[in-house]
Amino acid sequence: MAFNGISIVFARCLSLLQLLFRLDRGLPPANRRLVVDGLAGALAIGLVATTPVAAQDKPSSVGLGVFTFTSGPAAAYGMPGKNAADLMIDEINAKGGIGGVSVTATYVDEAQGAQGVIAEYRRLAGDAKNQVMVAALSSATCLALAPIAEQLEVPTVGWNCDTHQLLMDGKSKYVFRPNGNTVPEFIAYAIYLLDRKPDVKTVAIINPDYAFGHDAAKIFTAALKALKPDIQIVAELYPKLGSPNYQTEISRLTTARPDVVFSNLWGADLENFVRQATPRGLFTSSQVILALGETVLQRVPLPDGVIVGVLGDGWWMSPDAKANPETVKFAEAYKSRFGEYPVFPSIKMANTLIYVKAAYEAAMQKNGAKWPTRAELADAMKGSKVTTLTGTVQTRADNDGLVDQIVGVTVKTSAQPFPAIGDMVRYKGDSLLPQAGQDPLAWISTLKPEFAKGLPKPGSYKIGER
Amino acid sequence: MSNAIIPLLLDSLASAALIFFAAVGLTLVFSVLRVLNVAHGSLYSIGGYVAASVCLFIASRQLNPYLSFVALLFSAVFVAAILGPLIERSLVRWTYGKSEAVQILITFGLFLILEDLQRLVFGVQSLYEDSPMRLLGTSSIGGVVYLNYQILLVAMAVLVVVGLRLLINHTRLGRLITAVVTDREMAQSIGIDTNRIFILAFSLGVFLAALGGALATPTSGIAPGLGADTMVLAFAVAAIGGLGQIEGAAVASLIVGFARVLAIYLVPSLDAVAPYAAMLAVLLIRPYGLFGSVTARRI
Amino acid sequence: MRIILAAAAVVMLAALAFAAPWLQFVLTLAIAKGFAALGVAVLLRAGLISIGHAMFFAASAYGAAFLARAGINDLGLLLILSVLVSALIGAIAGSFLVRYRAIFFAMLNLAVSMVFYALCAKLYGVTGGTDGLPVPIPAVFGIVFAEPVFKSILFYLSLTLMVLVGLAVHRYLDSPLGHALSAVHSNEIRLEYLGIPVWAVLLIAYTISAALAGLGGSIAGFAIGRVVPDFAFWTASGHLVLIAVLGGIGGVPGAFIGALFLELLHSAAVTVTDAWNMFVGITLIVVIMFMPQGIYGLFERKEAQSS
Repeated sequence: MAFNGISIVFARCLSLLQLLFRLDRGLPPANRRLVVDGLAGALAIGLVATTPVAAQDKPSSVGLGVFTFTSGPAAAYGMPGKNAADLMIDEINAKGGIGGVSVTATYVDEAQGAQGVIAEYRRLAGDAKNQVMVAALSSATCLALAPIAEQLEVPTVGWNCDTHQLLMDGKSKYVFRPNGNTVPEFIAYAIYLLDRKPDVKTVAIINPDYAFGHDAAKIFTAALKALKPDIQIVAELYPKLGSPNYQTEISRLTTARPDVVFSNLWGADLENFVRQATPRGLFTSSQVILALGETVLQRVPLPDGVIVGVLGDGWWMSPDAKANPETVKFAEAYKSRFGEYPVFPSIKMANTLIYVKAAYEAAMQKNGAKWPTRAELADAMKGSKVTTLTGTVQTRADNDGLVDQIVGVTVKTSAQPFPAIGDMVRYKGDSLLPQAGQDPLAWISTLKPEFAKGLPKPGSYKIGER
Repeated sequence: MSNAIIPLLLDSLASAALIFFAAVGLTLVFSVLRVLNVAHGSLYSIGGYVAASVCLFIASRQLNPYLSFVALLFSAVFVAAILGPLIERSLVRWTYGKSEAVQILITFGLFLILEDLQRLVFGVQSLYEDSPMRLLGTSSIGGVVYLNYQILLVAMAVLVVVGLRLLINHTRLGRLITAVVTDREMAQSIGIDTNRIFILAFSLGVFLAALGGALATPTSGIAPGLGADTMVLAFAVAAIGGLGQIEGAAVASLIVGFARVLAIYLVPSLDAVAPYAAMLAVLLIRPYGLFGSVTARRI
Repeated sequence: MRIILAAAAVVMLAALAFAAPWLQFVLTLAIAKGFAALGVAVLLRAGLISIGHAMFFAASAYGAAFLARAGINDLGLLLILSVLVSALIGAIAGSFLVRYRAIFFAMLNLAVSMVFYALCAKLYGVTGGTDGLPVPIPAVFGIVFAEPVFKSILFYLSLTLMVLVGLAVHRYLDSPLGHALSAVHSNEIRLEYLGIPVWAVLLIAYTISAALAGLGGSIAGFAIGRVVPDFAFWTASGHLVLIAVLGGIGGVPGAFIGALFLELLHSAAVTVTDAWNMFVGITLIVVIMFMPQGIYGLFERKEAQSS
């Protein structure tokens, strides 16, 4: 009798597993036969796990694993990325896909935590149809996925992944970041600030409490101290990521009376902070720098004169972007589909997909129009130079990307109901980065005040000048 | 640092008020129903979402902005009237008299469901409606600009403590609740409709949770994940004050608020640790909380 | 009969991982969580519900990360030491926590674990903050394997440990010490009158449960390759209790059945919807209301009918 019950349960388990098997389409049926052959060579499983399928015939469609936050507080940054991916993929497919093959995306929510993300990555990588992973938004996810990407030999392109630690060892073969990293992103703010307010003495920092916030504070502080040694940091606050309430922090910042308040809060946190700090006068008593300020321009009324930027060159209204009909078309399509103009995370995602598409095309050109393998794709990404919606991205020898950095201040315009960025500067991507393999923090500390002299000045990046 | 003493105390009061609103409903429900409602944090954030949606609607229709104050209160009543009886009748009632493990797990299941439901209904973008806060303006105290809305919140918290005390000690409903809390069987045998009392008490708890969320929206946005964070904070406060002790929750909110603010001013790296450290410290000395006791079921 | 079934289940798991390699990771994780849930289930025997056991899970994984950083590079040694770390923390925390009962025990565990969580997330310099620490691949008997081979070794090791540790815990629960746990639940005072030191009985149980959670934690750490503070968040503790109850706290297999069920459900659900937590929540409520003995209870009931 016991057997009956158990067999029912087993049958149920099996039907569940069957479902899972069906999802695991990448697995050649031969492997299933192995099970019947017995358990000899159990350790050889690792060999089965890698699927270097030489898919030289064009498939009917090509899959992309796209990793972003679709839930939790980080979704405020992740969803614009997902929206842009949806739109960009539709645009690519409307033009005949990649080499005639249509593109589909599987989205993975990074909010489920490292273990869920890794499980999903392995599952997607097991399917030979998914040749490239666009992963990921958060630095923590990227750091966790990078070793697996190398081991499974899946080209993995970070669409955001700001941390400078990701490619620091210079040994990556399959992990790419066609995107800036924290080093140029935050040095740019230090240089811009000192150009605009040379007499600044005291600085307070309020950043989210995780690697991105701490790294940014470290880089920004180090750059400021190198360029102007008498600067003092009077307060450093690291509220928890996703805090809804900053009233106490705002009081604390006010009592410290700093010349400058620097913040790389983002998403819902930034919106909350701005809305709470504006009526309490923080924006009038101090010069505020919001490193990710562009993401909230359309959502909260930012006062004039706040230093903002886009952590790269991805502003949809920059002179370069406006001069590119593709970008204008993308921005308008985005607006009509999602009700808002794209923010820079959207542009980062769109540019990353352009980068992936370019890699396919380069690889096919190289191997005689055959469908490329994963290894050929990774090869094509190496050292590539790709024109994006908002500029170019050059892949260095360590697989890190060189993109320009745009910084400016908020200004009201009559053209639109929300502030634009004015008094802009566009720093060249390679001018703010140490050579590949050099420790960035050590490099920053060697900078001298003269370093900034050779760089473009605020207001130098205008329409008509490229 | 001396110039920071007044802001420090004011900030403590302001954050204590917010913390109190997060916790009071949890402790009230425990005092009457003896159920620790793990889904309390979700009810708090649902209150916030509903209030923010209604206020946004008012703003979009350009109705009288002062209506949004009414909307904050009304959203909480609305959430309580719908979810209170529904959850009590379908799930919570089933757990009466069962072990704590069962009660915690059933409400944990509810928590998981509600968190995803909110995501499906309200989306993942944060909601923010600050017109009530902007309407009231600001005051400068001790060199720091405060929102008058923050002061209003402190007053509201005091009002809720006093109001609950009056409700329990000086109304018929309050006496009925006290009777049920003191001796459930006896109350039943003298003809008190305990089922009704339970529905009312649970709905009151839902109302307080939703009110907390609603009142918080104008100063702090509502985003996914808020429920889980609110829950632990509410736990900490309820445990420090003694489970089921309303005045205890008020005192505990002051302690936790002060601990957090002090941490932000002096050792900012420890601000997230402060509430739990305070909870641990109090519980090690008084495991049943400052005002709690094992036997007495004082409400 | 039962032994054959258990053996069949283990063989099936082994074969499953063989057939679907990506599933191997999910299964390793399920077994890891099964260990932790077993720890929770041991305490549930005594009627004590801990919403804080994810702390030991995380502590052990952090322990492995720190020990690996300190230069220890052997899987066996790292496993043993990190389990000892969590057992030690368990013994210290347990020595005062086991004085409390019911809701107070639950809340105190929650408090301790949240302090731990907040510290892990805050002490950026030591713990890497929310980015966590890497758990590198250690050598196995002096041999450094490539990542996929190591993960297979880890899986089969976990499977073996599941059987061995499962048997040991079964023996423990069947011993006088184990029976005393149920007695604490039903009538603690009577136990005191019998001259059995309840405090000691519970402290031993608490330490064992912390060690079990720790074993799960270090396996999970090795499988994921990284430990993050979220390992210790209260919802993770909630999930452990959920697994224990879902599987059925009646016997050792329950915890593992619950964990396998939940992980496979998760894997299946995330491909269809984001809202998989809702599935889990509904399943949990249904199981508690209509199958109070958990999934394992299905087996038990049939067994009882047949004998």
